[in-house]
Amino acid sequence: MSEPRYKLHWVTVLVETLKALKDAILPLAVVLFTGSRNNNTGNWFLDNWSLLFGVVLALFLISSGFIKWRRFTYWFEDGELRIESGLFVKKKRYIPFERIQSLNYTEGIFHRPFGLVKVEIETAASGSGESEAELTAVTREGADRIKQRIAEGKRRKSESGEGLPLTEESSEETAHAADRENAGRTVFTLSPKQLIILATTSSGIGVIFSGAAIFLSQFGELLPIAKVGRELTSLLKFGVLLIAILVFLALLGAWLLSVAMTFFSYYGFKVSVTDEELIITRGLIEKKRTTVPLRRIQSVSLQENPLRQLFGYGRVVVHSAGAAGDGSRIQLFPLVMKKDMYGPLQEIFPDLDIRDPDGKLPKRGRRFYYRIDFFWLVPIIGLLSWFFYPYGLWSLLLIPAVIGFGMWQHRSAACRITGNQVTIRARGFGLETSYTMKKRIQSAELRQTIFQKRKDVATIHLNVKSGMGVHDVSLRQMDRREAEQLLAWYEPGERS
Amino acid sequence: MRQQPANKLSGKGLTVWQLYGMLQTLLVLLVAVGAGVLAYLFDWPFWVYIAAAAVTIVYGALFGYVFPRIRWARWRYEVRETEIELQHGIFIVKRTLIPMVRVQHVDTAQGPILKRYALSAISISTAATVHSIPMLAAEEADELRNRISALAKVAEDDV
Repeated sequence: MSEPRYKLHWVTVLVETLKALKDAILPLAVVLFTGSRNNNTGNWFLDNWSLLFGVVLALFLISSGFIKWRRFTYWFEDGELRIESGLFVKKKRYIPFERIQSLNYTEGIFHRPFGLVKVEIETAASGSGESEAELTAVTREGADRIKQRIAEGKRRKSESGEGLPLTEESSEETAHAADRENAGRTVFTLSPKQLIILATTSSGIGVIFSGAAIFLSQFGELLPIAKVGRELTSLLKFGVLLIAILVFLALLGAWLLSVAMTFFSYYGFKVSVTDEELIITRGLIEKKRTTVPLRRIQSVSLQENPLRQLFGYGRVVVHSAGAAGDGSRIQLFPLVMKKDMYGPLQEIFPDLDIRDPDGKLPKRGRRFYYRIDFFWLVPIIGLLSWFFYPYGLWSLLLIPAVIGFGMWQHRSAACRITGNQVTIRARGFGLETSYTMKKRIQSAELRQTIFQKRKDVATIHLNVKSGMGVHDVSLRQMDRREAEQLLAWYEPGERS
Repeated sequence: MRQQPANKLSGKGLTVWQLYGMLQTLLVLLVAVGAGVLAYLFDWPFWVYIAAAAVTIVYGALFGYVFPRIRWARWRYEVRETEIELQHGIFIVKRTLIPMVRVQHVDTAQGPILKRYALSAISISTAATVHSIPMLAAEEADELRNRISALAKVAEDDV
């Protein structure tokens, strides 16, 4: 067989080397740092051992990148994508076309000038965040050829099953049709305004708060605040002010960095849909194109954190059985006005019932939403009140806060069953509404403690596959009868 | 009220769980004896002896007798044509439903202690979760495993 063999573009050397360097940055930094300390023994080798070490390591990384590029070949044969790589340990990986679930493309900064892409090949086996195979840098034409050969191979397989011989022309024609179809309909784009809101309210804020908390805890140890309050010298005042400003600037910097990172990675976010898959493209500097086969999607959820909920915003996340690239939790709409969400969502999932769940929980289970919290609450309040006597009593305010929060969670929770779909809404901190089809639930569990039994309520857990793991859709303190109905609805033998 | 699943675990399972509990109690006893020796050497107050003894006795009573009994009495399973149903849990009673169509594979496992008692455990894997039925008589477990795998093969996805 003389199938042509393909190589990767030489940029692979650069990309692989930098990637390896990034992974080795910590030990490298340690070596360079420790090495730069004692350098006056007179012996040149002893003085500069860290430099030597660094150079040798860099050479090693570059040559391993070079070898990886030289030895890497891929070709198509017998309905398989075949990859050979490695110098001493030769690795051969043959992936049958019909096993390939999706192809993901990434264009990094080194890819852009040469019109290259990184192609990640995902199969059912690639669930733990790693793709089955990765072609570090191929040309656009190369990527198109891979896509076409796979699509062609899959079609030939399915048609040969029906006993239809395939002529060269018709395959070409269908390939073009597939190309047209592959473009898909655009169902969602992130507007610049939304992008800015997303970037500024992203999780970066959490990082900053935690950073501030850490810093303040350090700061508190350095300066006993109470003492400072009593005898503030002007010098100290100035020092504190200076430190406060520096802290503020550092936090601002961290926040701006996180805003910028979110901005760059979600720039130009676009979702399009074909008959079989979702295509998500995003990114400014590094362009990513992720493909998610629709039949691998296990569950859809709408998440609204309180801050964004206040302004009517939320985000939509899908759980997929595959997990290469962005993990199994894929942001479908990173930020969307809730009222504008239903149209595009319905367009992607025509069978989905997107009505809000309306089955509320019975009042008698409400206490369980906060009662368990007293286990940690009582000792904390006790300790605080004891050790910081008058001021520690303020911690009693935690009680109404926790009870109020529990009641809020209870009020938010709801459930609805329509046909083969169950919609469950529950609040952790943010509100999450999960839309799940019966056939995507791997197993279901009804739990009841003795206390719950007394109040005739129960907790339901639905286990949905997400990558290699489980996404647990659960609802606490349902009416026992309703929970049992839900279980009966799920039970295949039950014919109601 | 939903019916309980029909089948119980093997009676020898209770013995094995109690044996496990006893073995754990033995470890606690060792620690307690250690505390007693230290108390003797360093002249610690008398209540240390009492506390150590009390902890050992309570632990032994709970983990060597009470908990295994509750656990054993609670454990029920039933394998029907289209689904498997389990019930277990000491403080939290869990009722699990696994449709046959979702079953990916079934294993049986037997450690040295289980082997002595001719017992075996089954674990049932779906695409996302693993569920196990412990303490089944070995022949019964093998038979059940074959039955589940046969049923899982013919089960048809109708949703």
